[in-house]
Amino acid sequence: MSEVGGKRILVLGIGNADRGDDGIGPLVIEALAGRLPQEVELQVRSGDLLALIDDWAGFERVIIIDAAQCLDAPGRVHRVDALHEPLPLPASPASSHAFGLPEALALAQTLGGAPAGVTAYAVEGEDFAAGAAVTPKVRAAVPVVTDRVVREVHRVLGGRVEAKSHA
Amino acid sequence: MVTKTITVDYLARVEGEGALDLTIADGKVTDAALRIFEPPRFFEAFLRGRGYEETPDIVARICGICPIAYQMSAVHAIEAAFGVKVEGALGALRRLIYCGEWIESHGLHIVMLHAPDFLGFTDGIEMAAVHGDMVRKGLALKKAGNEVLRVLGGREVHPVNVRPGGFHRLPTAAEVAGLAETLKRARDDAVELTRWVSGFPFPDIDLDYEFVALRHPDEYPFNEGRIVSNRGIDIDITDYENVFEERHVARSTALHSAIRERGAYLVGPLARYALNFDRLPPDVQNLAREVGLEPICTNPFRSIIVRAIEVVYACEEGLRIIAAYKRPERASLPLTPTAATGFGCTEAPRGICWHRYDFEPDGTIRTARIVPPTSQNQASIEADLAVVAGTMVDAPDEDIRHRCEQTIRNYDPCISCSAHFLKLTVDRQ
Repeated sequence: MSEVGGKRILVLGIGNADRGDDGIGPLVIEALAGRLPQEVELQVRSGDLLALIDDWAGFERVIIIDAAQCLDAPGRVHRVDALHEPLPLPASPASSHAFGLPEALALAQTLGGAPAGVTAYAVEGEDFAAGAAVTPKVRAAVPVVTDRVVREVHRVLGGRVEAKSHA
Repeated sequence: MVTKTITVDYLARVEGEGALDLTIADGKVTDAALRIFEPPRFFEAFLRGRGYEETPDIVARICGICPIAYQMSAVHAIEAAFGVKVEGALGALRRLIYCGEWIESHGLHIVMLHAPDFLGFTDGIEMAAVHGDMVRKGLALKKAGNEVLRVLGGREVHPVNVRPGGFHRLPTAAEVAGLAETLKRARDDAVELTRWVSGFPFPDIDLDYEFVALRHPDEYPFNEGRIVSNRGIDIDITDYENVFEERHVARSTALHSAIRERGAYLVGPLARYALNFDRLPPDVQNLAREVGLEPICTNPFRSIIVRAIEVVYACEEGLRIIAAYKRPERASLPLTPTAATGFGCTEAPRGICWHRYDFEPDGTIRTARIVPPTSQNQASIEADLAVVAGTMVDAPDEDIRHRCEQTIRNYDPCISCSAHFLKLTVDRQ
């Protein structure tokens, strides 16, 4: 698969920093800044994810960090092979005009152009109120997810790139 | 008496939360009620006490699909209150950003929300397996429209570059010219979509609407014009409240609009097209005729073709504006606030979006009133449902339910804007 400006991996934080625990995706992207090799592109998105169909074209691997509805343990991290396993319930129900991650993935798989691998790190949240901050239990998951993404990126790149030290 | 009730709890593929209750007694539809239970959103109250400069950024938040409509109606109202008229190249840029909004909004609705109804698919994703090319074209249109919003509005959703008097920052000539290739491809996609949707199977229903839209001496309407109807209304936008009223009905958190003397009316693509066909360029008129669309269309299901025609028009109008673009000398005209009342009315993708603001001497908003298109169409939606369901009262509930949902989607309703999904109950008595 072709590269996008020399980038091979897209790490995507999904969420709205002003909706409580929905902000986990953007927080992890912030924490990843400077910790990943140059083959990796970092992006944050909220709302309509239909544009992802174009955004991820050309990347061989996409790693997504998103909030999920709470099952029973806020802050718990689930790693999902999003092309082959069902995604956990999203934090907010998809609006009909704004499409969510499962729809974007399904459409990309139908139309062609989905990346060869899509991993999703879904973090269970508990409070998604407008204007609320990320709750302490979910915030505690930020370094956990960040380290797992760094390790995954290096696995994907085949260990060619040395991990940068943690700032 | 044999009565039955059919309910749709949540209508899919519309924006916002609503439900439908249909009552059928002795083989006749006796009630069709669209219940909108989206919580009230209080935008008009948020605006009170805010400065006029903040208005475009606040009202843009009413809708993620049609923020430009709210911004344009607001800035025109502000400018009218303070005695300034934005014309020339700045006015043309405002038409261009509106073209972008129609393209992205209609493009998404046609392909992802509405087309699956006619072809028997549950959604656009399922439809993509069979009609992948058309889904790609629809998505490309949405992207093209968003690109116009990004270049002129600063970002794709809730743009930030619109201000009373003009824009905060003008796009460079190169940025505007860069949109031309995007819009040329979009126009070709839109023409193909128009031909595709015109071949859909349409229910044979014609309804007797009072169409209401803006009408301008020269232009297919976006930002300017008088409010006209096919039954004699021809008024300045400042007279809107004298002719139209909003009524509270218990089943809806959106106010129902009505013509004071007559009741229900229709805004949106069917109305705009019927009242302004002669303002479309000849090649767009010819395309409409080629696909079997008469200058007046009263079949609400065929609104999908009208939307496609409007996308073709918006692409062409955008290209015309780009070809003529010369960067204005300044990004915005100066405004001097004064105690005054200003009115704005522009053509959102779903129909006229009317605003009124009363200002304090320093430009602080004393009161605001915003009438979105979907709330104006509620009575027509209910009337359509009664007629459509009335033609199939003996059909299985599931068929009635599906056709009713399709009927509502003819409107591309933005319930969130109006109060702002759907629950259909059929009560057979």
